[in-house]
Amino acid sequence: MREDELDRIDEEARQRGISREELLKRAAVAGLALAGSGGLAQIARAGIAATPKRGGQFRVGVAGGSSSDIIDGQDIVTNPDQARLMAGFETLVGFDKNFKLKFNGLAEELSPNKKGDVWTIRVRHGIEFHNGKTLGAEDVIYSLHRLIDPKLKLFGGAALSSVNPHGMKKLDKRTVRLHLKHPDATILDALGQYVAGIVPVGYSPHAIGKAKPNVGTGPYKLKSFTPGQQSVHVRNPNYWRHGQPYFDGVVIIDFPDDTARVNALLGGQVDAITNIPPAQVGIVNGRSGRKVLESPTAQWTPLCMRVDTAPFNDARVRKAMRLIADRPQMVKQALSGHGHVGNDMYAPFDTAYDHALPQRHQDIAQAKSLLKAAGQTHLTVDLQSTNGALGMNEGAQVFAQQARAAGVKVNVKILDSGTFYGAQYLKWPFSTDFWGTRNYLSQVAAGSIPTSPYNETHWPDAADRKFLTLYREALRTINRKKRYEIEHEMMKLEYDHGGYIIWGFSNFLDGYNTKLRGLVPGWKGVMQLNNFGSGFRTFWFG
Amino acid sequence: MSTVAAGFERARGILPRPRGVWGFVLRRVLLGLLTLFLVSIVVFAATQTLPGDAARAFLGRNATPESLATLRKQLHLNEPVVSQYLHWLGGIFRGDLGNSLTGSQQPVTSVIGARIENSGVLMLIAAVISVPLSIALGAIAARRRDGVFDHTTSIVLLALAALPEFVTAILLVVLLGTSLFHFLPPVSLIPPGGHPWNYPKELVLPVIALVFAVTPYIARIMRASMIEVLESDYVEMARLKGLREQTVLWRHALPNGIAPAIQVIALNLAYLAGGIVVVEFVFAYPGIGSAFVGAVHNRDLPTVQALGILIAAAYVFLNVAADVATILVSPRLRTSLK
Repeated sequence: MREDELDRIDEEARQRGISREELLKRAAVAGLALAGSGGLAQIARAGIAATPKRGGQFRVGVAGGSSSDIIDGQDIVTNPDQARLMAGFETLVGFDKNFKLKFNGLAEELSPNKKGDVWTIRVRHGIEFHNGKTLGAEDVIYSLHRLIDPKLKLFGGAALSSVNPHGMKKLDKRTVRLHLKHPDATILDALGQYVAGIVPVGYSPHAIGKAKPNVGTGPYKLKSFTPGQQSVHVRNPNYWRHGQPYFDGVVIIDFPDDTARVNALLGGQVDAITNIPPAQVGIVNGRSGRKVLESPTAQWTPLCMRVDTAPFNDARVRKAMRLIADRPQMVKQALSGHGHVGNDMYAPFDTAYDHALPQRHQDIAQAKSLLKAAGQTHLTVDLQSTNGALGMNEGAQVFAQQARAAGVKVNVKILDSGTFYGAQYLKWPFSTDFWGTRNYLSQVAAGSIPTSPYNETHWPDAADRKFLTLYREALRTINRKKRYEIEHEMMKLEYDHGGYIIWGFSNFLDGYNTKLRGLVPGWKGVMQLNNFGSGFRTFWFG
Repeated sequence: MSTVAAGFERARGILPRPRGVWGFVLRRVLLGLLTLFLVSIVVFAATQTLPGDAARAFLGRNATPESLATLRKQLHLNEPVVSQYLHWLGGIFRGDLGNSLTGSQQPVTSVIGARIENSGVLMLIAAVISVPLSIALGAIAARRRDGVFDHTTSIVLLALAALPEFVTAILLVVLLGTSLFHFLPPVSLIPPGGHPWNYPKELVLPVIALVFAVTPYIARIMRASMIEVLESDYVEMARLKGLREQTVLWRHALPNGIAPAIQVIALNLAYLAGGIVVVEFVFAYPGIGSAFVGAVHNRDLPTVQALGILIAAAYVFLNVAADVATILVSPRLRTSLK
């Protein structure tokens, strides 16, 4: 069966809220499946072309990391924590290389009632945690309780606000019924986030990263862990996906320093690294046996204007600022060209993303006339930034240069992160920030409504309150087509009046030794290295 | 030597005077402790100048009123500054440096314990190689003053002295680790729980970088002081007695020539304690240097304070040791204490 056909089935399964297996089974019964296109033969050929080999110790150097590293199935602090979480823990559903939701996780079924406020979750049969416990309904209930525990304040909990802690019922060994506070079309997205890992009953109930034993259902078991240095993981012999994983073990090593990380790859001390500085891409590609893997992302470092504070409480000023940005130049200079141009709209990987919105271009003349109309001809503003992610400071500085042409003076203030994220954070009138890859409605929940944990722009302004009504309506709309229409209306409001200047999305630049196989170029990932090989189970040594 | 004498004079002014060499040692140690006490005030005061307070600095984007309140209580930030300081100082004497703020909040002592071993081994090897090497280089250069050896070493050592150690370190990596040759590991991955002496290959490049960083200074001062000694009357006398040149150089001239160098050696070894930060970072060597950088980055104040005091203590200890050693090798100073 062809890839796109499987995609279509997944799409349909998602829409109808049943599992892919279920749909395939039904199709088979109807005598439709696997017919035509010589599907089986094709799969067989692909299989021969790239038969994964078992064995070896995979060593990966991950950017960042410090003594604040943790391992938790539902939370992360640093970048290496993501890799460690992926090695040991899994979610009910997942995303594929096109950032499309797939029923490829622990859940065999995840389906709503007609209204979308009651969901049934059934986990697959015979999956074991690393300590031998069989995955069951009680673990799912426990995991969801832990995710939304207000005391733990887990990041993944924000997207699960519709989950009613008193509305979870165990139907049988593997089935849970979930009664939501209100219909919620984003529940699958929320359960597919990598931080929504399923943990066994009793897993570290009161603290983050302190589970003993630290067990999940993932491809590798944790053997040892020293925060700020490295962790060692060994192959899970009872892993449920047939044949996977391929390595005997995985070592995840912290590398805060860019130079040391690249040197370790060049010197052969690690097999792959994340985050190659753009300036060193040529060096790595120029070395035989080493290669750079470039993957697009939907992560962004916006300039954030507070829509409720002068001068940005005037929508004309916001529009003028957005027209000042020469986005291709910003991507070229701030990201050294390793990225994609943005259109003041987040979530470009979402199937709901409105590609009909015209690409915004620099238009200094129009910006000037808007500023004049708003009485802000000689506007001077402070732009607060910090070295939080590649593109924050760089983007701010390039923008300040471009603003001069429109007579706007932008004073870039680079603060240390303690000050930036201190008492003033989310109160700066004009600042930078960074966000990861999310779908549209999940991102709205995280940053664009008054109840969001990080709403830098204080959107929506008084004139666009309609946005909130639309948001609630979208959540309740299970029919995808109707929901997309509502989402497009929301996007239009943000595109016209919003407080974000979204100039670009950066690419992941990872390096690997060419003896490593299974890497997929162009993977639309949330994390580096194909989401760390979905827990290092899709890579092998050739 | 003048600093020793001056320090000695000062010490004599304010302290009771046990006599002799041991009295001198005692006074130096007490002064060292006084210095450390002052350093502890500075280290502590520095943490008070942070924007907001330590709790806010650490929590950053994740700060919530509850977590701030908890952390402030844990760090005793609600108490007056003086009692915070006394609490912290008292902890040092009890061997309790507080808990690291990060991750699993282990005691600072266990976080930095293994790191101290790693850095200690690195420094020790660097010192054991660089001190005799630089003394020998300096002495030979002085003996063959203006010869080929002297000129060559002068140029090479000056060049090395002019390069910051991170530049030499990176050059070494490029030369021996990644680009030109590939026979040494470019980064020093010593797994947790492993001892550095079990990974000799990993130690080579950082040790060379550190040796390059300190050797030039010691060798230069050694050369200058040996030239002075070799021109003195008693060396002339020894030569006239018909002693072999080797004996004159190593037995008679060296002990006197080495006295001024001891101060420089001490300063350079103390510098190693701080300069190791940069070299460890380049090689991703898991020592106190990278722990220090990481702790500053994470605003993990208890760890920063502990490492600050530790490095200051290394400075003070090495300076006291140098003063004492200078006295012991210089007969003139030794007898003046009697």
